[in-house]
Amino acid sequence: MPRFIFALVVAVLAVVVGGELAPVGGQATSGEYKIGVLEPITGPLAFEGKRHVLGLEIVRDLINQRGGVMGKKLVFAMADATDPTAAASEANRLITREGVKIITGTFSSRLCGAASEVAARHDVIYWESSCVDPRFNKRGLKHVYRTEIDATGFGWYNIDFIAKHLAPRLNLRPNQLKIAFLSEDSSYGQGVTESARQRAKGEFGMQEVMLEYYNWQTLNDMTPTILKMKQLNPDVVHHISFSNDGVLFWRQAKEQNFLFKALVHAGATGYGSSDFGKALGNDANGVFALLEPGPGFRLEALKPEGQQIEKAFRDAVQKETGSYPLGAHQLAGSGLWLLKLVLDKAQSDDPEKFRAAVMSLDLPVGSMINGWGVKFSELGQNANDRVQHYMLQWQNGQLVTVWPEEFTTLRAKWIPLPAWDQRK
Amino acid sequence: MDPTARLGPAQIGVLVPLAVATILLGGIYALISVGLTLIFGIMRVVNFAHGEFLMLGMYLAFWTFFAFNADPYFIVLVAIPLFFVVGLVVYGIVMRGVIHASHNVQIFTTVGLSTVLQNVALVAWSGDFRFVRPWHLSTVLRAGATTFNLTQVVASLIAVTLTLALVAFMKWTHAGRVMRATAQDRDAATLMGIDTDRVYRLTFAIGIAAVGAAGVLVAPLYSVYPTAGLQFVLISYVVVVLGGLGDMLGAMLGSLIVAAVEVGGSYLFGAAWKEIFYFLLFILVLVFRPAGLFGQRGAETLGV
Repeated sequence: MPRFIFALVVAVLAVVVGGELAPVGGQATSGEYKIGVLEPITGPLAFEGKRHVLGLEIVRDLINQRGGVMGKKLVFAMADATDPTAAASEANRLITREGVKIITGTFSSRLCGAASEVAARHDVIYWESSCVDPRFNKRGLKHVYRTEIDATGFGWYNIDFIAKHLAPRLNLRPNQLKIAFLSEDSSYGQGVTESARQRAKGEFGMQEVMLEYYNWQTLNDMTPTILKMKQLNPDVVHHISFSNDGVLFWRQAKEQNFLFKALVHAGATGYGSSDFGKALGNDANGVFALLEPGPGFRLEALKPEGQQIEKAFRDAVQKETGSYPLGAHQLAGSGLWLLKLVLDKAQSDDPEKFRAAVMSLDLPVGSMINGWGVKFSELGQNANDRVQHYMLQWQNGQLVTVWPEEFTTLRAKWIPLPAWDQRK
Repeated sequence: MDPTARLGPAQIGVLVPLAVATILLGGIYALISVGLTLIFGIMRVVNFAHGEFLMLGMYLAFWTFFAFNADPYFIVLVAIPLFFVVGLVVYGIVMRGVIHASHNVQIFTTVGLSTVLQNVALVAWSGDFRFVRPWHLSTVLRAGATTFNLTQVVASLIAVTLTLALVAFMKWTHAGRVMRATAQDRDAATLMGIDTDRVYRLTFAIGIAAVGAAGVLVAPLYSVYPTAGLQFVLISYVVVVLGGLGDMLGAMLGSLIVAAVEVGGSYLFGAAWKEIFYFLLFILVLVFRPAGLFGQRGAETLGV
């Protein structure tokens, strides 16, 4: 009897869980064009993956309101990439069972490598909108593209901000700055940190006082690291965090009264996630995170076509979520919009024609969602200086755009960071 | 660059905050591990779903805080009976069927249970990170240069209380004696007229109640999400093995040792090293003292 009940419970749960995860089915009709969408919808990466899916759906609707792609209505074949193994097998399924010629996804650096390998084996176009693993475009895969910059680009922008904006406001020359590098140890964290270190030391002669990596999934206490940092006394903490590690560091730094002049992060994880503000409220004030544009972003700084689509996108996200777009929405959304621009030009999903269209696109900064431009390298990577990134700062519960100053109405505050109880 | 090189007399002051960090972190580990030790010790079942019950406790804290603004310290009183019942139900549905089966079957079952619970949480509450922020969250007690986070202090005190209460329960109550007897020799206990099924049910329920309460207490310190338990569960296994299977005071000392290794290793060598150190310790203990640092020799094979 208990076994029977157990079996029953498992069966019921399987139906419930399975029903929730079942991919959107249905064959493409003559008026539709189907692409594969591969995102983590369940599992540890789902919190961000679901936001990417929403960003994709919103832009899909915007595209369909504007005539679709190649004259057809754009539809998605969804697949759940819980982990690298699932990413590979689901990519395979999208290609062999759903018959898609283009796959887009997967947000995480843990997934994009595996998924794109499979696509490449089948000569299917792989269109990555946000994974930032620096190795992604360096594998000689001809039909693998990435619209977002990679982690090394993030490090490049971060040091740009520290050297050109923070240093003068701290009345220090860049080579007088003492900088501590702390990071979670994924390929993302390492990519950002190593490129930042290289530029900080090589180009600006900053003084590196610490370098430390950790595994965010098993990190329960940052007090020892903070006590060590207190002794090393850095001016700037360059901390790439993934999730709770950001909250933990900031909370425990406050507990230990660790004072430094600024903290700079990059990406939509950790300090760059809305969760950081939810966890800490106004205590979050002062942290910098390199991201896609947030509140304060000046539409007028964009080209006319960029203003138009940025506004439509922002309004649609506002309607759907009640707030300003998050990084995940923006990355997925701009990636898909760029795919539409390419398909409009290629009028085909033949990999060679598609590639020719990608390579011929040349749009300046400010041309599309996020104020991005387009210029792909032979490696299939959109250029650092076209994919404009912005420094955001936590100000009273919100991440707002503060740099580059020509793109925003708001200004960076709390430089240097005052005592913990005076950041209001 | 290397802080150890500079650790002169002027830096000795850092030892005190490091020791405090060790004790407070050890308190959290002890709190989480005590239920696992109990289930492991009496039932000889490795409960791989332990972390998921912790996660459910964290969600209880989150939802009650979200809906009623209820303080986790109050909710912990609700959590204990509630999770006791959850333990009874889960035992009846899942564990009873495999309690006499081989260890492999038990491992597959509890791993399966863990996956089911994670995904139920994901479907029901989404993968979003949630936070419990009671007013006392950022309360910090200061003594000189040393700081104590109040939530951690309370968690540690409750861990000590819970451990002592369970030790007393096992030692001096009839139910406790029956539980120990069952752990030592299930067949003999049955022959003595002990209803072992009832003992296991009770053990499992107490263990789950303890970890549910732990979840409520640690919820303010960490973010709440469907796989939140994974972060602690590996450490709990190390703690339980170090302390000696089923030895609750041993688990408490094991928690402090793991925390000391973690804090010391992170400070001296970097946070990336801490797991290397405590898993090395784990392996050494398994090789040289398989019954744990404080366990009774031969206890590891009891009842298997």
